[in-house]
Amino acid sequence: MSETLRFVSGDLQLMALSFMAIVYIFRIRWLLRFKASGERQAPSGGMGTSSFKGIVYSWANIAMPWSMESTRHMSFFYLQFVVFHLAVAANIGMSFVIPYAPGLMKPMIVVRLLQILFAAACAIGCYRMYRRLSNPAIRLISTPDDFFSLALLTVWSFASIFAAPNRPDLGEGPLMVYFIMTAFFLVYVPFSKISHYLYYPFTRFYFGRTMGHRGVYPVKRVTQPKPTNI
Amino acid sequence: MAQNARSHKASKVVERMGKKLNRQMVGSLVGCVHCGMCAESCHYVLANPDDPTYAPAYKADQIRKIFKRNFDWTGKIFPWWVHAQDVRTDEDLEKLKDIVFGKCTNCRRCSLNCPMGVDFATINRMARGLLVSVGVMPEGVAVVSKDQWEVGNQMGVLPQDYLETIEWLSDELENEFKDTAARIPIDKMDADVVYAINPREVKYDPRTISDAARIFYLAGENWTMPSEGWDMTNFGLFSGDDELGGAVVQRVYEKVIELRGKRLVLSECGHGYRSTRCEGPNWSGTGVPPFVIESSVLTMLRYIKEGRIRVDKEKNRAAVTFHDSCNNARSCGFYEEPRELLNLLVTDFREMYPNRAENFCCTGGGGAMSMSEYTPQRLKSAIIKADQLKATGVKVVVTSCHNCVDGLTDVIRHYKLGMKVTQLVNLTANALVIPEKVVVPVEALISVVTLPLQGFKILVVDDEPDILTFLAAVLEDQGATVIQAADGEQALALTIQEKPDLVTLDLSMPGKNGGYVFEEIRNNPEIASTKVCIITGKPELRRLIYERPVAPPEGYLDKPVNEETLLTNIRMILELKRPHGHA
Ligand code: SF4
Ligand code: SF4
Repeated sequence: MSETLRFVSGDLQLMALSFMAIVYIFRIRWLLRFKASGERQAPSGGMGTSSFKGIVYSWANIAMPWSMESTRHMSFFYLQFVVFHLAVAANIGMSFVIPYAPGLMKPMIVVRLLQILFAAACAIGCYRMYRRLSNPAIRLISTPDDFFSLALLTVWSFASIFAAPNRPDLGEGPLMVYFIMTAFFLVYVPFSKISHYLYYPFTRFYFGRTMGHRGVYPVKRVTQPKPTNI
Repeated sequence: MAQNARSHKASKVVERMGKKLNRQMVGSLVGCVHCGMCAESCHYVLANPDDPTYAPAYKADQIRKIFKRNFDWTGKIFPWWVHAQDVRTDEDLEKLKDIVFGKCTNCRRCSLNCPMGVDFATINRMARGLLVSVGVMPEGVAVVSKDQWEVGNQMGVLPQDYLETIEWLSDELENEFKDTAARIPIDKMDADVVYAINPREVKYDPRTISDAARIFYLAGENWTMPSEGWDMTNFGLFSGDDELGGAVVQRVYEKVIELRGKRLVLSECGHGYRSTRCEGPNWSGTGVPPFVIESSVLTMLRYIKEGRIRVDKEKNRAAVTFHDSCNNARSCGFYEEPRELLNLLVTDFREMYPNRAENFCCTGGGGAMSMSEYTPQRLKSAIIKADQLKATGVKVVVTSCHNCVDGLTDVIRHYKLGMKVTQLVNLTANALVIPEKVVVPVEALISVVTLPLQGFKILVVDDEPDILTFLAAVLEDQGATVIQAADGEQALALTIQEKPDLVTLDLSMPGKNGGYVFEEIRNNPEIASTKVCIITGKPELRRLIYERPVAPPEGYLDKPVNEETLLTNIRMILELKRPHGHA
């Protein structure tokens, strides 16, 4: 492995990561500067509800596609969401595994599974870009940041397919591209919509607390009975 | 500098936004990933698939861009990159007004469907409040807010009108039960129940008050209605004005405390329940008040369970469905109790789908009924509710909200669904099994006069032929002699010539408008004492009438008006004390 690759896969990553962490600390401090409003009233709603349950339900909401009408109705979109986010998580994980625990990536099955996941994420990214451009409602709300973030993740996923085998001996190009992109990703993330995962625990915490206190969460659903043929 | 280029109002909006933002709101403002998942939760989007400006995320972005430009670093440094944009002119504020008031009923359905937990309805309400604080709002919102600030209730019901209505309802109840204890107590100290209502009940639907009174009486409740602080509705919820919200609930709470009431029972009103029960302690800053607050639905349910009243569901045999008020279901988790009660009251209850917290808005929520400039888009979006209602196959919709009664009635009329809207209090009163000791004497029942308006001459004035025909038909059916006028000039001439007992007057007419005619009537000593009932589709014109330097009209109704409301009000104006009796 060349010195350059060693640097981009090690020190550069740590620098980018530290930068991201510092910006995030400022970001969270900024968010916490705003006062959180509370629920002063006595709890309302049924016996099975509480603020605590509401918070847990709210956090778990994303893993319960049946809990929201939107995820129920857009199940294909939800599936894409799951695959895409799993791929991003795996991708970040891989940026640590390659320099610090390369043994984990030795079995070919692991490499192939990762490559399939990254390829799927790449395809989903392309499809989402198409959706963002072709659907007038989504196009209207899309910012340059939305397009760029999506493009960045899509290209990054693409680069990861070639980096996953971790074979610098066959040429350092794919790994070099992958690690440089990862570093850029880490630096860019705090300024982009990709940092939504940082806000997610907050938004869902407060929304869940309110909805739990008021007895709306967990949502009770009564579905339409299927018509029976007598 | 951007700040210098702003109009005075725009500067105030930005300055106040900074003060209003809390962590929840900021979370919702920074958390949106523009995924579009929320779009199809909104009835406006579903009814306008080709208009992307109805998407909740687009509407939120119109607020978000101001936030980003002024409070978020990315928006401050790279505004074009994240679509951050400042609000500069009064026209910008007007545009924002049309979005936050005209394109959203604050129903919170999208909030429940956002994977990120973005609560758009809360941001929208905040934006409404900011605009209201600089006087940018629909005329109807200004009128209703003013009434609630100044008169003490949303509909400008004067204290003597409220007390007189309670008085004649008490006369009816006393007569019905032949018992003075059946009268409605006012300002009784140490009552177990203090009953607060929606002013709509006094104005348009006093039957709901007497139905509730019947139930309290038969349950042997130690109850009272307050002489002040009786309006539990709260326009602050719709206008986003927390100060108004706090002042209104405080007025209600203080009266209950003054009366040493143990329980504040709220009549069926979704936004009133949310405001008084769920938001009130937050707005007023006083914490949980020292008494229980509950919906009358819960009270009625308890009476039945405790055996204090008996009901016979065979008396309500029509198939019914139930519409959840957004404020009850999505903001207070109040959806199971109404169903429990309903199942005790009717023989055939059929759910509508989706239901409970996932139900669709009646489309009249968020104060939409008072914003006549947005009526066409409201009614267009109501196709979603209309389809939902139609799919149930029933002819009666039950709801636990006065605002929804009006919203649904409008939907039903517009889409010609041929359905009727009622509330749980009406069904409970209808299903009551009257115990022996208070059985209504047969003579009282048969002393019914079939034509209650016999002998009254009524002039109906409206430039819309359909409405003229409707008003004339309803009043003639009740025995009145009806004269019709299609414009202001004719109306004045006929008032002088025919000297009617009552004139029903449309405000917006070509030529001499209703306001002018009204003032002419009042200024002409020959006809000045003629009773006048304004019937208008433009609530924003209300101010023009009440601010005239003449005695106010005896009645005021908003269009669309249904038969029952019309007759109840005409009866009240003509001072016919009993429902079917001629005074
Ligand atoms: S509000 Fe929520 S669902 Fe709607 S676009 Fe934003 S993140 Fe997606
Ligand atoms: S709160 Fe209701 S009306 Fe407003 S955007 Fe959301 S779903 Fe639509």
